[in-house]
Amino acid sequence: MRLVLAVFCGGMVGTALRFTIDLALPHSDAQFPVSTLLANTLGALVLGWLVGGLWTRPEVPQWLKVALGPGLLGAFTTFSGVMVSLVALSTADAVGLAWTYFGATIVLGFVAAALGLWTGGRMAHRLRRDGLPDLELPDDGLTQ
Amino acid sequence: MSAWVALSVVASGGAAAVIRYLVSRALPVRPGHLPAGILIVNVAGALLGGLVLGLAERAAISEDLQLIILTGVCGGLTTFSTWSVETLELLDNGRWRAALLNVGVTLVLGIAACAGAYLLAR
Repeated sequence: MRLVLAVFCGGMVGTALRFTIDLALPHSDAQFPVSTLLANTLGALVLGWLVGGLWTRPEVPQWLKVALGPGLLGAFTTFSGVMVSLVALSTADAVGLAWTYFGATIVLGFVAAALGLWTGGRMAHRLRRDGLPDLELPDDGLTQ
Repeated sequence: MSAWVALSVVASGGAAAVIRYLVSRALPVRPGHLPAGILIVNVAGALLGGLVLGLAERAAISEDLQLIILTGVCGGLTTFSTWSVETLELLDNGRWRAALLNVGVTLVLGIAACAGAYLLAR
């Protein structure tokens, strides 16, 4: 129950942050959705960094992991927003823009996640080298 | 936009994140298999988003409710970060076929669900 509450609180913060970016960078159905691209790229980078780095530390409590992972970053990023924008751009006769947005989302998002995992892993490695105890990352399906 | 609408967006985003968390907990990631929980919520959210987009086109849904469902419910339910990180973890474990399949299946089903719901609802 405590974990569910942690996800709920994190999810509200993530939604509020994404909503704020949407309001700060508004776009019509025929314009490039910069706000969603920004949120997804940034969210993938940070989640990768956490999963590859801090999440491997035994001292990080479970409630904090689920509040930030499935909660904050899960809600901050959006898959439906990408799909809706692709359909909206296509029906607004901006098919070229839809393809550009699609490619940018996939390429930037996955590169950001990979960069996050890599830098996080290096940081975890440094922490281990500096004498903190090692811990294998448990495959508990909680990396979201 | 009233403060109540903004609050509803944020609260429904938090509630939808809980649904995503519970679905992914109920369907834990098995090594080498597609992360089914995230796939299901992402496709479901894309479908709901397409439905709202279609209803909005013929003004069958208020702008406030559009915002609450699209930004709150769909945005909170679906995720890009977990999808990309889980795919890269499959790749990292040498499961490149499962990784490619996870990208392909999610995109094809997501676009089909969103476009299909839009075309039916408009």
